[in-house]
Amino acid sequence: MLHLLKIDLKKMTSYRTFWIICGLYFITLGFSTASGMEILKWIASKFEDFGSSLNVNRIPLYHFPDIWQNLIWFSGLFKLVLSIMVVISVTNEYQYRTLRQNIIDGMSRFEFVLSKVLTNLLLSVMSVGMLLLIVMVTGLIYTPELIWSDMLVGTEFLLAYFIEIFAFLSYALMLGIFVQRSGLTIVLLMLSHMIEAIIKVNLFREGLNPSIGWLKQFFPLESITNLVPLPFARYAFQEIQDYVSITAVAIALGWTVLFNYFSYLKLKKSDI
Amino acid sequence: METVLSIQKLTKNFGKLCAVNQLDLEVKRGQVFGMLGPNGSGKTTTLGMLMGVTNPTSGSFSWFGEPSTHLTRKKIGAVLEHPIFYPYLSGQKNLELNAMIKGANPANIAKVLDIVELSARKDDKYRTYSLGMKQRLAIASALVSDPIILILDEPTNGLDPMGIAEIREIVKRIAADGKTIILASHLLDEVQKVCTHFAVLRRGKLMHSGPVDEVGKGEETVEVMAHLANGQAYQDDLSVLLQQFVGSATIKKENGIFQVMMKDGFHSQDLNKFLFEKGIISSHLVTKKKTLERQFLEILAEAH
Repeated sequence: MLHLLKIDLKKMTSYRTFWIICGLYFITLGFSTASGMEILKWIASKFEDFGSSLNVNRIPLYHFPDIWQNLIWFSGLFKLVLSIMVVISVTNEYQYRTLRQNIIDGMSRFEFVLSKVLTNLLLSVMSVGMLLLIVMVTGLIYTPELIWSDMLVGTEFLLAYFIEIFAFLSYALMLGIFVQRSGLTIVLLMLSHMIEAIIKVNLFREGLNPSIGWLKQFFPLESITNLVPLPFARYAFQEIQDYVSITAVAIALGWTVLFNYFSYLKLKKSDI
Repeated sequence: METVLSIQKLTKNFGKLCAVNQLDLEVKRGQVFGMLGPNGSGKTTTLGMLMGVTNPTSGSFSWFGEPSTHLTRKKIGAVLEHPIFYPYLSGQKNLELNAMIKGANPANIAKVLDIVELSARKDDKYRTYSLGMKQRLAIASALVSDPIILILDEPTNGLDPMGIAEIREIVKRIAADGKTIILASHLLDEVQKVCTHFAVLRRGKLMHSGPVDEVGKGEETVEVMAHLANGQAYQDDLSVLLQQFVGSATIKKENGIFQVMMKDGFHSQDLNKFLFEKGIISSHLVTKKKTLERQFLEILAEAH
């Protein structure tokens, strides 16, 4: 297993594009998640320009335990960058035909997929680690009164975040293996949510099939989004889901397994 | 001799096209086996199936008497069609990757780079290599695991005469080490120079299979130019005289040289003696054995 991961990392670590994309991902992820307070202050200053006031300290964006869901939901938006890297990594293998040579050299098709999946796992773990670091640093800075039990409430979102990233990277890998061309894959990847939304809107039009509305949560991309619900509405005095739903986790994990299985199945059946 | 590769009724269809049709073949240890055939005759498809990248439609094959898995492939060094490497990696790094996949000793890398004379350029990126260097790196990658069998598909494709000669030398050196080599090519000259055995494919079907030595056997052709014993040119038609020779089957004239196809058991010395007795001295007398090219064309012609 470790051997396969090493092989895939060896392909990547001398590839400049990999470092640039991953570097940009982690830097923008770090800075933008950590600078929420600055944005709030900027909004407050605009309020003052109009003569009204906004007390930024009353919005507990970075206070434990709110911080977990807030930052993790926001970080989820960046996964597209990472998934594009995954797409490039796998479509390169088709474009350069190195996949063919890997197989000729004695890799099995299963091992090839596994090496890519392992890299996806590593990238997901690194994202979680990065977020843990940011949450800890900013949380400790901004939380006025630290209560240990508060800090731990919401750590479950870290696990949900991990599944969210890994599921989406698995989806990107599968798309790359099926489409094989990087540009087309990236476009499809970016439009996936939109395409799924169009399907859902047409399927679940109001009044039409009201009995199957519960099916929505089983859509692949929706299931990934459902892992970490949008938290910010709570600052407008609305009720939000501030926990990780077990059903959502189960559905997303199911899709993750399927994505990777489809990748393997496709590779197994095709001549390369 | 031990059989390293045995193919039974191997078939591959691409839609309606039958690229490889019921192919049976055996390769034994130590052979340098040439696979001949025009472009599109199914050579690469066959090798692709043997190396696990193309799924056979039907039939089977076994390496070393066992059904093939990815583990058997690690013991084989193969380059199919073009050299394939990561363009952004250096030659050295590419070989390190090959060695990792094959589970080969990384210490071999320096050795194989030496064999193909690429040590000086090993740290340059692959995309900066010339075609000849790419082909040589491909051979190095095939050798990196010290394989028992080497598969080379058109290894001299697109090379200049010097590059072709270099690759041919490398192949001969490797063959001298006792490795089994399967060489697919449409260059007959190349196969005749390096191979011990050969097979001819046409439209996915095996047309012929046998040792290269036997190609030269059978009837000989003798080229003759002659003049009179007193040094003067022979005025009459020499072919009329040549026809009187009991050993000649057919006679052709090409560029002022007579080509006498000999009957079985007759050789150039018999012809020489015959001419001398008639008072004619040959100034040019060459025995030509049948080339592989000739045999190849005959085999393909028979198939029509």
